[in-house]
Amino acid sequence: MFNRTLIFFAIGLLFTFPARAFDFDIQKAISFAQKAQQATKTIDEPEEIEIGHGIATNLLGASPLLPDSKVQQYVNQVGRWVSLHTERPDLPWQFGVLDSSDVNAFATPGGTIFITNGLLQRLNNESELAGVLAHEMVHVLRKHHLAALQKGARMDIASMLAGEALKDKGNSEVLDKAIKAGTEVYARGLDKNDEFEADRMGIVIATRAGYDPYGLPAVLQMLEAMNAQDSALALMFKTHPAPHDRLSLLDKEMGDRFDAYAAPTQTDKRFNSEIARHE
Amino acid sequence: MKYQYAKYLYALILYASLAAPAYAWQVAYTVRSTEIKQLPYSDAATVGTLGEKASVNVMSRQGGWVKISSAKGNGWVRMLSLRGDSTAKKSGDTGLQSLINVGRSGSSGIAMTTGIRGLSEEDLKNARPNPEEFEKLQKNAVNKAKAEKFAHEAKLKTQQLDYLPSGGNP
Repeated sequence: MFNRTLIFFAIGLLFTFPARAFDFDIQKAISFAQKAQQATKTIDEPEEIEIGHGIATNLLGASPLLPDSKVQQYVNQVGRWVSLHTERPDLPWQFGVLDSSDVNAFATPGGTIFITNGLLQRLNNESELAGVLAHEMVHVLRKHHLAALQKGARMDIASMLAGEALKDKGNSEVLDKAIKAGTEVYARGLDKNDEFEADRMGIVIATRAGYDPYGLPAVLQMLEAMNAQDSALALMFKTHPAPHDRLSLLDKEMGDRFDAYAAPTQTDKRFNSEIARHE
Repeated sequence: MKYQYAKYLYALILYASLAAPAYAWQVAYTVRSTEIKQLPYSDAATVGTLGEKASVNVMSRQGGWVKISSAKGNGWVRMLSLRGDSTAKKSGDTGLQSLINVGRSGSSGIAMTTGIRGLSEEDLKNARPNPEEFEKLQKNAVNKAKAEKFAHEAKLKTQQLDYLPSGGNP
């Protein structure tokens, strides 16, 4: 329990309180250091899912679902099939098309994936949809948003997040704070390396599910070709690296590795019939 | 007499809409020196070589290859060697792209004019929970069996492959 790091950290803290050094309580310093150490531990899966559901409920408050159950069903079928090819196939994966003209997609911890109707309508085939959803799934698999949440959280929240306070069902205050902080991550965006990782791994996941590996790259080229001043792109471009850079990296990483994988031939018909334009 | 030509025009539009997957741009430029291949394979014959920032006209895509025409020759180049030409017309502006869109959706153009609202930074920061919508979201989820059936219907097959190393390496 009293491992060396903890002791050194506690002693270090002693020196950060010069004015009160002489009446400093060593016990207090150690317990504070223990809490800080707990903050770097991972959040358990049930808590991860609970935070993610809370964030999803908030995102739906910002933009409700597209009121078209056929489209919602279709996207869930594509998404769930792709999710079976990840290392966490048993998460409660669920997918939603948001009734927004913006071009964007979001993933929340625990397996909720959103795509805006603005983006969905700009896609050309099921492989492109699979690519976008697979990219989002990587954020869940690699826990990018949870890491951003823990990194950005104030000390008191951070220390409570991984501790018993989160598991205490009677204490919703910690959960509420985590959900609020978690929702704000979407306005800031993730580290660019998280996005590059999501591209690189997402392409593999979509290909495992039988899709054209060049689906996601084709979507990135579509974004790159759009007018950068288009307001529909504002949040996406603020929170993601430039499509050009993402494509250049993929060019290096993909090389000719995916030449052997052909695009599926029987998915175009259902994509075209399900994704009819909404006027 | 006029009606006969209209039939052919209709057939042409229909064909154009079904023929190739709609592509992002009609004019593109290279970001690196790249070979033009006769067929969409890396070991096909080389028709010509494009330098950096060479302009090409894009016809269609097949997997990671794009069919192009250029001053240096016609054939196939790797999709990732190209970017959209910001000085040229964008998708939705050219006649061919509009034709392709008509076929798929019954209306032309790409720009969305409707949609309840955007998702601005402010919207996200001030977001209030909507539990009713969350319930709807949960009801739309499908189980494994349904997903597998969906894949089977379009003959989608599981393939095995490892994740890529980061940074790129041959």
